[in-house]
Amino acid sequence: MGIQIKDVRKRFGALTVVNGVSVDIAEGEFFVLLGESGCGKTTTLRMVAGLELPTSGSIHINGKDVTYAEPRHRDIAMAFQDYGLYPNMTVYENIAFPLKIRKVSKADQRRKVEETAGKLGIFNYLGRKPFQLSGGQRQRVSLARALVRNPKVFLMDEPLSNLDAKLRAVMRTEIKKLVSELGITTIYVTHDQIEAMSMADRIAVMRHGDMVQVGSPLEIYDRPLTHFVADFMGSPPMNLFPASMTTAGRPTGEVREFVDAIPDHERDLISSRLDASGQFTLGIRPEHLKLVQLGSPGSARAVVDFVEPLGQTTNVYLTAGEKRLIAVTDRCVSHVGDVVGVYAPPEFLRVVAN
Amino acid sequence: MSMQHDAIRRGSKAALAYALALLATAFFAFPIFWMFTSSLKGDEIITAYPPVWIFAPSLQNYVKLVEDLGIMTMFINSSIIVGLSTCLAMISGTLAAYALARFDIKNKQMIAFEVLSIRMLPPIVSVVPMFILARWLGVFDTYWLLIAAYALAGLPFVVWVMRVFIQDIPQSIEEAALIDGCSRVEAFWRVTLPLLMPGLAATMVIVFMFAWNEFLLASMLTSKAAKTLPVIAANTLNAKSIAWGMASAAGVVMSLPVVVLVLLMQRYLVRGLTLGAVKG
Ligand SMILES: Nc1ncnc2c1ncn2[C@@H]1O[C@H](COP(=O)(O)OP(=O)(O)OP(=O)(O)O)[C@@H](O)[C@H]1O
Ligand SMILES: [Mg+2]
Repeated sequence: MGIQIKDVRKRFGALTVVNGVSVDIAEGEFFVLLGESGCGKTTTLRMVAGLELPTSGSIHINGKDVTYAEPRHRDIAMAFQDYGLYPNMTVYENIAFPLKIRKVSKADQRRKVEETAGKLGIFNYLGRKPFQLSGGQRQRVSLARALVRNPKVFLMDEPLSNLDAKLRAVMRTEIKKLVSELGITTIYVTHDQIEAMSMADRIAVMRHGDMVQVGSPLEIYDRPLTHFVADFMGSPPMNLFPASMTTAGRPTGEVREFVDAIPDHERDLISSRLDASGQFTLGIRPEHLKLVQLGSPGSARAVVDFVEPLGQTTNVYLTAGEKRLIAVTDRCVSHVGDVVGVYAPPEFLRVVAN
Repeated sequence: MSMQHDAIRRGSKAALAYALALLATAFFAFPIFWMFTSSLKGDEIITAYPPVWIFAPSLQNYVKLVEDLGIMTMFINSSIIVGLSTCLAMISGTLAAYALARFDIKNKQMIAFEVLSIRMLPPIVSVVPMFILARWLGVFDTYWLLIAAYALAGLPFVVWVMRVFIQDIPQSIEEAALIDGCSRVEAFWRVTLPLLMPGLAATMVIVFMFAWNEFLLASMLTSKAAKTLPVIAANTLNAKSIAWGMASAAGVVMSLPVVVLVLLMQRYLVRGLTLGAVKG
């Protein structure tokens, strides 16, 4: 059950947009496709929806091979980035449309539409046309239209990207709540890592048509596999240092103190994450870096470049040797030009592939 | 005080605008008025100068049109030929435009250009070959010939204009319909077509008017059985004399269907101006 995507590829002419994606999405799971613009998220989603046919590979939904099935035979619902509401129909007619097509009786239509509209807080707009609604209201209508027929699978393509920041945060929790209450298997496309972190049961990070890493939000945040994922997740992003290991067991890198501190279990990972030329990356999250007295054991010498107090925390920008770092600290007393020690607790150092 | 002042200024501005609009309307409506009154005048007063404004209207010109020239037959001919060719051009043109707008077709631009190229040939150049072809096929002076000719002449226009109208409808609306349970055809029928109505109405009026008024092909490719209204209207003018009364009456008869069509389509034509407000 759920959705199985097996080695799906999509080419547009000579351009490979999705490059062999495989993933098994459990029933009721909230699965997020995350990646930069143009990495193939939408294309992947559209193949699941049946709006685009894969060049090769297969897609199963609830145990049925639907690789080449028409969208209407897949029992899916979808929310579009630009809502895709029918402009000539009222809100009521929009929401009732999927029921009408399925020849649900008029009375049942009314009951379900009113129930769904009530749940999404658009009951009072049922008589309006889409152009008489605000962006947030339109978004709710498109969600209502998708949810009204209790789909098994719900696909969403950046449904919140046209909303302002505050509304986005509200809708985020609302969608998540609604979908998990109904137990619908969901694939959600976004390029916003905060959206992904806060909503997902599992995230797939995509890049150039590949799924680079699939895992729970904390797994991806804590243990990124590649430089790209490490840099993409988190704001401010992870501090990353180029490092190399040309002789086995002897890694070297830019900030000596940090490389020396790599704990054993991470050290064991190095050989599997080396690229062809023996390079890898060492990373540590800004919130794990500690500012200490200059010369403390295990710390590197650094100069404070810039201090950004954010209220709850403070971003401190540093230079250690040639390398620029960011540390997120509590309210602190550093000043520009201070010379301090930066200490990387070994348990938070990560070995990451380039 | 000043609010009252503003209101008066606004009011006089509106009055000025109305006056200008009336003037423009009168300028364009006068020839039609003149044609209509002339068609009701007798031969003696029709060319009188200064013009006779008050006269006893008579229908003798219309009677002559029907009895001497047999305009009823031509009217039926024109209606059938133009009606069918317009429908044909609209249906096939819109479907072609849909395919060009929505589907991934190889050499799409080439095909679209080729369709347009039908229109680039001046009709006068093609009329003789068409005449010979028609003779050869045995369709000279039949409905089929003019229907085909007019449908083909209207087609490029329909394809190009409808393509733009279809492209203007966001694809996600149709995709939403597909997901909501429609087949391609159903999605087109239930979702796209209602949104296309203003475009269809405007295009149809233009295609209809072109075929309805077409003279060159009609005069060369028919002799008797499939003669259309423009040809007969031209017959009222001959080398020796101009039957002004009959010409005006023929003009009125020819304009009526166009007026009726525009009135029927008006609902959509006006909506076409406001549909843009839906997007965004
Ligand atoms: N129909 C198409 N023909 C050719 N190329 C296409 C087509 N659709 C998408 N592409 C290309 O495929 C790539 C991936 O597109 P896709 O829409 O999947 O990206 P995305 O990850 O959704 O990006 P975004 O976050 O900007 O929406 C892009 O480079 C795009 O130009
Ligand atoms: Mg996209």
